[in-house]
Amino acid sequence: MRNAFTIAGKEMRGFFVSPMGWVVMGLYALLFGYFFMAHLTYFVQQSMQSQMGGGPININQFMIRPLLQNVALINLFLLPMITMRAYAEEKRSGTIELLLTSPVSDLQIILGKFLGAIGFYAALLAVTMVYVGILFAFGTPEWRPVVTGYLGLLLMGGCFLSVGLFISSTTKNQVVAGAATFVVFLLLWIISWLGQSAGPAMAAVLEYLSIVWHFEDFSKGVIDTKHVIYYLSFITFGLFLTMKSVDTERWRG
Amino acid sequence: MIEVQHLTKRYGPFTAVDDVSFRAETGEILGFLGPNGAGKTTTMRVLTGYMPATEGSATVAGHDVFADPIAAKRSTGYLPETPPLYPDMTVREYLTFVGKLKLPASVGKAERTSRVDAVMAKTHIADMANRHCSKLSKGYRQRVGLAQALIHDPEVLILDEPTAGLDPKQIIETRALIRSLAGSHTVVLSTHILPEVSQTCQRVVIINKGRVVAVDTPDNLTRQLKGSATLYVQVDAAGADAAPVLSGLDGVRRVVELDRHEQMVGFEVAADADRDVRRDVARLVVDRGWGLLEMRPLRLSLEDIFLQLTTDESGNNAPPPESEQPHA
Ligand SMILES: Nc1ncnc2c1ncn2[C@@H]1O[C@H](COP(=O)(O)OP(=O)(O)OP(=O)(O)O)[C@@H](O)[C@H]1O
Ligand SMILES: [Mg+2]
Repeated sequence: MRNAFTIAGKEMRGFFVSPMGWVVMGLYALLFGYFFMAHLTYFVQQSMQSQMGGGPININQFMIRPLLQNVALINLFLLPMITMRAYAEEKRSGTIELLLTSPVSDLQIILGKFLGAIGFYAALLAVTMVYVGILFAFGTPEWRPVVTGYLGLLLMGGCFLSVGLFISSTTKNQVVAGAATFVVFLLLWIISWLGQSAGPAMAAVLEYLSIVWHFEDFSKGVIDTKHVIYYLSFITFGLFLTMKSVDTERWRG
Repeated sequence: MIEVQHLTKRYGPFTAVDDVSFRAETGEILGFLGPNGAGKTTTMRVLTGYMPATEGSATVAGHDVFADPIAAKRSTGYLPETPPLYPDMTVREYLTFVGKLKLPASVGKAERTSRVDAVMAKTHIADMANRHCSKLSKGYRQRVGLAQALIHDPEVLILDEPTAGLDPKQIIETRALIRSLAGSHTVVLSTHILPEVSQTCQRVVIINKGRVVAVDTPDNLTRQLKGSATLYVQVDAAGADAAPVLSGLDGVRRVVELDRHEQMVGFEVAADADRDVRRDVARLVVDRGWGLLEMRPLRLSLEDIFLQLTTDESGNNAPPPESEQPHA
């Protein structure tokens, strides 16, 4: 595990010293800020109206939940930029030769890369927490759905990142890796829409496959083991594919 | 110690390394010599566990590369053809990272730092310690690559063209460094530069088109091929068509016309090993009434031997395949 952490540390460091890392972080904060403002404005309007008739409306339900659901959309665009370099760049620059000839197992390298990516993603989420903190400063939202929501986001992002890692391991061109990752994310995203036009049985299956659908309960403050298991097995599967791909590339030379 | 047995590596249908076997004893420096595309890098990549072989076995420092890769890698230092540097790290950060990966867990931070300082001093890069790897010149990149290979003081060193891109002074220093490693380390280095082999290596493996064509000490190789005395014979115009006649002589292996002017023609006459054909050649030339203008032994340099060994039957030098792909 020590080796995995060494590599994770190197990956994290790589994000923070590269312009790319800061661009991603800046865009993440910017997009989240945009959604934050949009939802806030809407929420303020709604609560004004509701003050005239009926009781106050719930900030968790009307503001934080849809806001966190929008993070999935931001992830769709920005997480490919985190993983596209992971393997592609090491292959292009030849540093993969250092990693693969060091006394480190493939699994340790993959875990290191995954932990590094998810660590950086966690830093992105931490930035968005600043905005959410503002709500706590000026209002009294319930903290529980916020915590479970962020846990869900972490798991959801983990799925995206494990797929991105796999795709990066299949090419030495990081632009190709990034584009392919985006397309796959998009498919995983829209798969539940397809379900709506299919029969109910099919809809249930497609919904189950959709990464985003599993997030809903998290955003409501519910931790359902069904969803946790889904996310964890998805991540494991993504890392497993990466492992196979690294091994295949190794045979191919 | 390194032992390679019947190693074969195919890329798809293409055989890059074909049934290669050799041994390097502990403390020995073994030179790996061959033209472009001979399979040197491929062999080294198999030895370092970067890629598996298609067939055959390889043992490094007593560890089977395929059965026990982690132990084998722990005993190996590897300088790839392209030094594997991370552009956004400084030299010190980079060597510290490699140290964390390669030094055993028992090595503490202070000891790691002193290892980093030691290899930087050894490879003369201390003045670049805080420079980013992306800003280094080619020669310095090469030296950082070498430092990286030495960081865990491995028993076996595998160096792919260690002096490529260095200036003459650095080449001399690097060769001296490599020589100083012999004795306690086993070193395999690849090169195209023949003097490098005679200066640094105790033994040479000459490889061509994936096959081993010779294994010996540089001295023996030179002597062996000189033994098959090659003569330069120059006769006057009367002997213009002497080549087939000379070839007919007992003990003559090969006659090649080297130069021809109006007044003379010169041949290279290669005899079988340990045969002295000078008297027979002289007698024949005189008997035929050609004027013998010159006859002297041709000294073969290591270059000639190399060309001879890596030249196929048709007499063409094995050219590097034009379509040689960049390494993956
Ligand atoms: N990844 C690869 N896929 C397919 N063919 C390859 C691959 N790597 C090398 N080759 C081929 O294998 C052969 C041997 O290559 P190798 O790199 O081992 O040669 P080399 O002796 O190191 O040459 P050089 O002196 O140019 O470095 C070459 O013909 C090369 O084109
Ligand atoms: Mg090579």
